[in-house]
Amino acid sequence: MKWENFRFALFEKAPEALWEHSLIVVITITLAILISVPLGIFLSRPKFKKFGLVTLNILNLLQAVPGIAVIALALPILGLGMEPAIVALMFQSLLPIVRNTIAGLLGVSSDVKEAASGMGMSQRRILIEVELPLAVPIILSGIRTATVYVVSMGTLASLIGAGGLGNLIMGGLSLFRPEYLLVGAGLGALMAIFLDRMINYLEQRITPPSMGAE
Amino acid sequence: MTLSDFTSFLMKNSKTIMEYSENHFTLVLLAVGISLAIWVPVGLLLTKSDKWAARVLALANTIFCIPSLSMFAILVTIPMFGLGRKSALLALVLYAMMPLIRSVYDGVKNVDRNVIEAARGMGMGTRRILIEILVPLGMPIIFAGFRITVVMTTGIAAIATYIGERNLGRFIQEGLIRSNTPMMVTGALIISAIAIGLDTILGLVEKRIVPKGLRISR
Repeated sequence: MKWENFRFALFEKAPEALWEHSLIVVITITLAILISVPLGIFLSRPKFKKFGLVTLNILNLLQAVPGIAVIALALPILGLGMEPAIVALMFQSLLPIVRNTIAGLLGVSSDVKEAASGMGMSQRRILIEVELPLAVPIILSGIRTATVYVVSMGTLASLIGAGGLGNLIMGGLSLFRPEYLLVGAGLGALMAIFLDRMINYLEQRITPPSMGAE
Repeated sequence: MTLSDFTSFLMKNSKTIMEYSENHFTLVLLAVGISLAIWVPVGLLLTKSDKWAARVLALANTIFCIPSLSMFAILVTIPMFGLGRKSALLALVLYAMMPLIRSVYDGVKNVDRNVIEAARGMGMGTRRILIEILVPLGMPIIFAGFRITVVMTTGIAAIATYIGERNLGRFIQEGLIRSNTPMMVTGALIISAIAIGLDTILGLVEKRIVPKGLRISR
């Protein structure tokens, strides 16, 4: 291992790769949240329960498809670059968030909802002021799963030209430069672990003490 | 790409497909076998100590976060492992740690305490309680973890093609390099079909082996 290579990878290559990777993760997760939370709310309404089961099954099936296959299928359909990668990753990050939104909303005790409606709250206000706040910890845990997944699969997105830390790792593998591998892979691992810890911390901060898990 | 591209690719390359599939399944079988042999006993052991359970589960969680490509890349730089099967196996076994330990631990811990007490009252020893009460009653959760492990391992194994495994991931790798779309898409479709197939079959098994009263609703 040469210090020179290591320094080059860390200071010349890594900042850009890290920036691209963060961009992919932030955009993908933001889009996934914007789509799946409303979808989860919609599917948890009693009227659409049947529809919800079908959607969940389809998303479950999508989830079983390995990430590398998703990336490979995105190329002929969507083309090269960052946008196709983001769309492909977004599709797979929907399931954990939709599932947890539904689970969180359905988990709110019916006594609480009845009390709220007894106080004269409309269905809408109950959703916004009672159900959603109580479901937020569970929704966040779904977002955490999705985020870790996107960081992980984001390293493969470099295969279809999306850039990111995968560029460093792939470059390191093809030139066999262990320094590139360590920098790219190490930063990827740290990023995933950091985001996981951070969202986990948020989850715990936001959970009302009386609802804390065990 | 049309359907005829797809079928002609399948016909022309049936031999390679067979070879890659064989390699793929060997790797997955080995990895799942080793993982079961290590992590199930560890999970059972952890039910004895809450302090250690918390520590080991936190470690498993952290390992599970590491991107798969990163994991392979880091292992490759360790001289003892290097490019090839050893690194691939170790990475897959490390990933299986989280779902397997977690499900064995949760499965056993979720068994009703009264049932255990009743068994003890009947004069069963710790070992018999484990084999005849805890494992069968914990089976639904344990099997769900096993299912996740198998499907996940099948998918991640494909990425091991980048560290020298000659398996189904290679179609994707080579297809990308040569911009050979039929090759790439066929590879992706075969892997997806296997993963979805395994998930479905194990899902059916899961329903069969679980006593009716114990089925988890999803």
